[in-house]
Amino acid sequence: MSGPHGNDASGDAPELPGSPREHLSSPITQAVLRVQHRLLTAAREHLCERGFTELLAPIIGPVTDPGCRGSKQVDIDYYGTRYKLMTSAILYKQASLLAFDRIFYVAPCVRLEPLETCHTGRHLAQFHQLDIEIAGASRDEAMQVAEDVVAAAVRRVVTELPGELDTLGRDPGAFTDLLARPFERRTHAEAVADLHGMGYDQNPAAEIEWPAEVILSAKTSRPFFVTDYPKGSRGFYDRESRECPGLLRNFDLIAPEGYGELCSGSEREYEHRRLVARIRETGENPAKYGWYLEMARDGIPASAGFGIGVERLTRYVAGLPAVWQASAYPKVPGVVSP
Amino acid sequence: MTGVLPEAAVTPALRADGFAEDAVRERARLGTAGAFPPRASYGRALFGAAGTRPADGIDAMRLCPPVFMPERLEKLIDLMREPMYGDVALDTVIGGLASPLPVFVSAFGSTQVASADLGMAVSAQAGRLGIPMVIGENVVPVNGYGRLEDAPRSLLGRIRAYAGEVGDGTGGVVVQQSTEDADAEVWNLVYSDPSARPLLDSGRLGFELKVGQGAKPGLGGMTVLDDAAAAKVAQQYAIDPVLGDGAVLRCSSPGTFTPEILLHQIRLMRNNFPRARVWVKLHPGRDVGQAAAVAWQAGADAVTVDGAEGGTGWAPWAFLDHVGLPLAECLRRVGTHSSCLLATGRMWEGTRAVKSLALGASAVGLGRAALLAADADARAGLVRLVECLALEMRLLISALGKYAARAVGPEDVWTPGSEE
Repeated sequence: MSGPHGNDASGDAPELPGSPREHLSSPITQAVLRVQHRLLTAAREHLCERGFTELLAPIIGPVTDPGCRGSKQVDIDYYGTRYKLMTSAILYKQASLLAFDRIFYVAPCVRLEPLETCHTGRHLAQFHQLDIEIAGASRDEAMQVAEDVVAAAVRRVVTELPGELDTLGRDPGAFTDLLARPFERRTHAEAVADLHGMGYDQNPAAEIEWPAEVILSAKTSRPFFVTDYPKGSRGFYDRESRECPGLLRNFDLIAPEGYGELCSGSEREYEHRRLVARIRETGENPAKYGWYLEMARDGIPASAGFGIGVERLTRYVAGLPAVWQASAYPKVPGVVSP
Repeated sequence: MTGVLPEAAVTPALRADGFAEDAVRERARLGTAGAFPPRASYGRALFGAAGTRPADGIDAMRLCPPVFMPERLEKLIDLMREPMYGDVALDTVIGGLASPLPVFVSAFGSTQVASADLGMAVSAQAGRLGIPMVIGENVVPVNGYGRLEDAPRSLLGRIRAYAGEVGDGTGGVVVQQSTEDADAEVWNLVYSDPSARPLLDSGRLGFELKVGQGAKPGLGGMTVLDDAAAAKVAQQYAIDPVLGDGAVLRCSSPGTFTPEILLHQIRLMRNNFPRARVWVKLHPGRDVGQAAAVAWQAGADAVTVDGAEGGTGWAPWAFLDHVGLPLAECLRRVGTHSSCLLATGRMWEGTRAVKSLALGASAVGLGRAALLAADADARAGLVRLVECLALEMRLLISALGKYAARAVGPEDVWTPGSEE
């Protein structure tokens, strides 16, 4: 089993991108982008065959997803009103269910991540999400869709692009377990206990820290789900369990071999009163979510959904040391580049 | 900064009615000599208690040294000589930040009083002293952040002024965020900014969740703006024309809290900013004990209790004398604890500071005193005030037979009317 850091979370930080000419004319980059193209093509076909409608994602709006660990949103001056570039399209995904029951985007996202993420090998300030939302779905149904779409996309690359994988030095055997499925599941509490057992000081009330995720990820050979994150570690839209208050009906999908998180998803809060209270719990000002809360007050469908990081999935499938290699125009946090 | 009323319209000069303004200014001038009567009177005058009326319950208390001092004996054995007041160790940790004494500069925000060059002078002197400093709410929405513009009064201007003076190992900057600041994502901004990185990397960056304040418990921040300035921030704040004469009241919302909301806001801060310290500032509410317990349970590094005292903004008369618990009662309601409790409200000299420590605080915050001292001398006024405060604390703590700031306790304080 190989990995982005030779299975070692303490591996050297990958170098940063070169000039656009160096990057785009590199045979490695070209192979990576062909893998990415095939992953997207396969995912689109898979979803369209199952009744999903692809929508074009919003880019700006008066408000965007606040649930992003310590990253800053980008403000823009929209005719004198402060707008945001989308950090994710989550609020619009819920709105879209007023039109269709099953939707997806390949959505651009911009997050000014903390500078410490520059060397994680897995953060970009500009990236894309395969964003999926399903009206009336439970978490289990959403997880099944996530598992199926990842498997379908990976299978296409393995069967159709052996030459590219060879160029990248990626052994197709790395995906045998993934394609055999199903993906394992464990709760956040179990993951925390595993980490504590390994001597890692993980805060049980917080998200799995990045180095910890690499440790967990490095111990497996197929992707696995982590479920039931504690409230206070995620955005207000992840639905809180009614049976176990304080736990969220959400999940992450973690890639094996040390590649870390590929995807986050959840059942959604959709009831007006609960949304307002959850917005306050995340320290946000409900006033700025006016359009969204008014829409929720008039009724939006219950739903579940997720977003798969396209560059992260590409990085994993292509076996790359750093996620910026999976972007044609990489923006590494804090690095001023074209 | 544009838009705040010209000085003459709001504050003829920095003034602090009901506060020991003259005494603070004198200490800002004299430094440690200010802890004693005027030197010229030495040998010519007899001194006794002034008999002034105490302003609140803490002022009414007395620090009471015992006759028998086993802890002094321990220190004597340790030092192999009789201990003196200079042997009192004041260094401590305040909400995760090392400090040479149990004193920090508490928040003052965007208001006229604080946002002139005074904010920069206080920042630089707090840095030189190596004591933690809180930067108040609303600085970003009102004064700007300072990344793309050269704005010395901005948040970044204050951080730079502090970081430019602070030595290695002590102090830190704690940035407050109010409900309205959340729109400007002040914490996200600071956490991802290259200028704040040296503080973050050395563990000296913190964020303070402002739940309330002492000057107007239950209300949000209030400042006075002219019409033009008000128009600029009208999207973010409530603007009320109650003041007349072209001036308006700019009101922040107080923000809604329940135990669940407070718990999860703090957890989210720890989740999103794992390398920053988390502080929480409470107003002197009747459930302050429960609120402090919730904050600590959620993992707050420090809880500040702001006694019903004063501030830099604008408060209705009704609130100044009649709303909120006095600081002594706040400390009593928080009760016994093993966490970091910070007390603010009319702090400037040693007795109130040491009494607060004895009643359970780990450190005290200078608010108005820091501004007045820097106003008296922009270069060294705050430094001298704090040097005088440190001397006085050493004198008082050693008189109690103790040699560390954290050693004082409720046994060192006598309350009028109490049995013992």
